[in-house]
Amino acid sequence: MPPPHRHRPHRPLDRAPASAVASLIRPEAVERLLTPWIPDAEERAFVVRCMIGEGPIHHRGASYALLLLLGQLLERVDPPGTLEPQPASIGHDGGSAADSTPVPLRLPPHTTPRGDGDHHYPLRMPTAPLERIAPKGSPELAVLVDCLLDGPPHHALANAAMVCLLDALLRRADGGA
Amino acid sequence: MTAAELGMCSASRLFVRELAAAGGDALVREARDRLGRDYPVFDFVAARALEGDPAPPIDPEPVCGALAGIARLLVVGLEAFFLDALVEALPDVEIGLIADSGGMEPDLRRVLANYRDRVEGVSLGDIHRWAGRRSALLTFVYGADAHVVYVNATWLRVSGPDVRTSFRSLVGWDIFGRPMLVYPRWLVETARDDLSNLVGP
Repeated sequence: MPPPHRHRPHRPLDRAPASAVASLIRPEAVERLLTPWIPDAEERAFVVRCMIGEGPIHHRGASYALLLLLGQLLERVDPPGTLEPQPASIGHDGGSAADSTPVPLRLPPHTTPRGDGDHHYPLRMPTAPLERIAPKGSPELAVLVDCLLDGPPHHALANAAMVCLLDALLRRADGGA
Repeated sequence: MTAAELGMCSASRLFVRELAAAGGDALVREARDRLGRDYPVFDFVAARALEGDPAPPIDPEPVCGALAGIARLLVVGLEAFFLDALVEALPDVEIGLIADSGGMEPDLRRVLANYRDRVEGVSLGDIHRWAGRRSALLTFVYGADAHVVYVNATWLRVSGPDVRTSFRSLVGWDIFGRPMLVYPRWLVETARDDLSNLVGP
């Protein structure tokens, strides 16, 4: 007689269901947070969708958590609504704002874009905080920028948004506006 | 050919109008009974005509609201009556068209000739040329419920992960306002959340 079939002992799932991750993400919270850097509501919605509405579900949840944590820290020093438009938001047309770099759209290399150079997301990443760890104009700084802005949009945009928030925090920590 | 070069809804409007002119509601009802299950868009348009609403007005304004600030619009799928209204309402926007009529091949030269250089034909391989932070995608939605929308199959090819993040907005223009009444063959179902904006009639 064969031995009785043994079922594997039940183990609780160690991965959260995608629906559980999606249900906790509130895009409006991130949109509110990024208003000083992306004043236009439609453009803000575009960036936030690419950060926490596209890409692998665990990236969405992770970016959401990190952005909101940085946002909470920023609220300690700048209550909501008091942060002025930030330097990185000025002239976000792909090239004119000083001390910041645009986040490029991830287009196929062979693509010849139409239009007038709007092939960047409406969010620029400030380089000032990175100059704390690599000298301005140095190859090292260029490498850091490349690392932060390369990869799929949900990575690059979340990185850029976090650098924006860190920039504001560091400037406040230094006693600046 | 009519459905391919006008779009299923636009062609159905014409067909229902001609049926009504030739035989009144009785003929529309008979055509719906015989053809409706095979041609669900015609079925919907005929049903609405029998309810007394044969040609609801086409209002592009809510769509224009969702497209405010864009410079380029890539339309996926053809509905001539609706595209006509959109082209007129967006005089300063470059408009491209990826034509699809449920597997029927339109003669794109004939279609585009109606728009006198205002609309450019675009192939699937050229989608990214239209990308940008002031670019939007638009497709026609043939009814929706709380979770899903019905669209042409090409939309699923176009709105993949690599394209979704290269266009500011992914707009669905619901030209029905309520779900179809029979199985929506010719069309495909996708998640309502695939669209960044769903604009109703």
